[in-house]
Amino acid sequence: MNYLKEVWASRELLFNLTSREVRGQYKRTIFGQLWSLANPLALMLIYTFVFGLIFRSNPPPGNPSGLDVFALWLLCGLLPWTFFANVVSSGAASLVTNSNLIQKVSFSRIVLPLSTVGSAAYNWLFEMAVLLVALTIAGGFVLPWIPLMLVAMALLAIFGAGVGLIFSIANVYFRDTQYLLGIVLQLWIYLTPIIYPIQLVNTQSERLGGLLNSRITLADIYSLNPMVHFVDLFRQLLYDNRWPDSAEWLICLAWAVGMFIIGTVVFRKNERKLAETL
Amino acid sequence: MSEIAVRVDHVSKTFRMYHERNQSIKSAIMRRRTSVHEDFPALRDVTFDVPAGSTFGLIGSNGSGKSTLLKCLANIYYPNEGTITHFGRIAAMLEVGSGFHPELSGRENVYLNGSILGMSRREISRKFDEIVDFSGVEQFIDQPVKNYSSGMYVRLGFAVAINVDPEILVVDEVLAVGDQEFQEKCFQKFRDFRAEGKTVILVSHSMGSVESMCDHAAWLSHGELRAVGRADDTIKQYLDSLNSGA
Repeated sequence: MNYLKEVWASRELLFNLTSREVRGQYKRTIFGQLWSLANPLALMLIYTFVFGLIFRSNPPPGNPSGLDVFALWLLCGLLPWTFFANVVSSGAASLVTNSNLIQKVSFSRIVLPLSTVGSAAYNWLFEMAVLLVALTIAGGFVLPWIPLMLVAMALLAIFGAGVGLIFSIANVYFRDTQYLLGIVLQLWIYLTPIIYPIQLVNTQSERLGGLLNSRITLADIYSLNPMVHFVDLFRQLLYDNRWPDSAEWLICLAWAVGMFIIGTVVFRKNERKLAETL
Repeated sequence: MSEIAVRVDHVSKTFRMYHERNQSIKSAIMRRRTSVHEDFPALRDVTFDVPAGSTFGLIGSNGSGKSTLLKCLANIYYPNEGTITHFGRIAAMLEVGSGFHPELSGRENVYLNGSILGMSRREISRKFDEIVDFSGVEQFIDQPVKNYSSGMYVRLGFAVAINVDPEILVVDEVLAVGDQEFQEKCFQKFRDFRAEGKTVILVSHSMGSVESMCDHAAWLSHGELRAVGRADDTIKQYLDSLNSGA
């Protein structure tokens, strides 16, 4: 509890560090904030071409929204994913890149990884706003779902912060972490129904039945991945325009809170040793 | 002066000296250990009190543990044994301009740096003019700091740090910044500090500045406290030991 108070006391610093990241990031570029869209748009073009046109992984049309645009369907899952990947990878690097600051000034260290969450969230909000406009133009009725989308975004940010905190510490001890993380994140995106619909996994799972004579199915193992549930949340809210299962909300909430608690505890245990270990 | 600003109580700090350090997972697994090391005691059972309102100098040769002690005082390192108790708000100046972002303007950096050092936004706004005035970079305050000369950069950093307004100020050898005129300003600021009854703890190799500024001093040698007390006595003992050794 005291620790939370300490973190709360440094909220201004958190805000200032976040705005340092945000304002410093696209300085001296002509397109500025638009660059934040460039990466997801490039991915969208690639995946739409490969999976939408060549492989024809036709996701079912939005129900009840009636939307049937692969690119938009893709972005509803891809934007949350790129946010998450950004938070984890920049969070992991945050302590090492600011080692100078840690060795010279005493302040609440946790604001460093948290500020990367803040700056990534800023970009993400901008991207999601553009997506909402695009969905509306395509005929979706997203307006009433915006508050719930914000709740889902907050949950994913908390979850990402927890993961980022753990990796930021790991990276201090093992600098391999940041490289390993790049590979893990690449694998992870394919283990999450972002560029293919989850229905394909369910079909395969039913065909295989219980694995190794047990009652555990492929879908059960698959759904251990928390990102499956987060992506599902965003797809249902934005693409389908319907209320996701309460169970789905609870799973996401549990992952977010659990991961954040673990992250904070791990961070706190190692916080004092940072200055000399770096 | 019976009041105490900082109490250093049986403080020991050891560092690990690595003969082999495996900061990669592969070598950690292959060799089943992350490192081969031995402990190097940087501070051994150091105990002293810093009286409130004094200017306290830490002296000693290179590698005597001064900076380690300073970092312990500044809450950057944590001692393995013993405790350090502060009676009042403490601020440390181990480096000036920490956390400046080169692409941001001087103004934005003042706010950023100030909040890293623990000032609230309102506090910084209140002191903003004073900070800019002290640094002498008025006409460039809205320029990105990467265009500053190194002198301007350091002066702005110093101006922010000195305006944190702590009860206890911990200073590493940052006095050697800026030109003669700016140094004079800094010394004046330290004198003002003392006049307000605040405590300054500083590390310096320049016996001249320690002698002229400090009223108390502690002499460290190889991590051990050799002498503590009035500044002139401590300096004399230190210099004597150097001369006898030579």
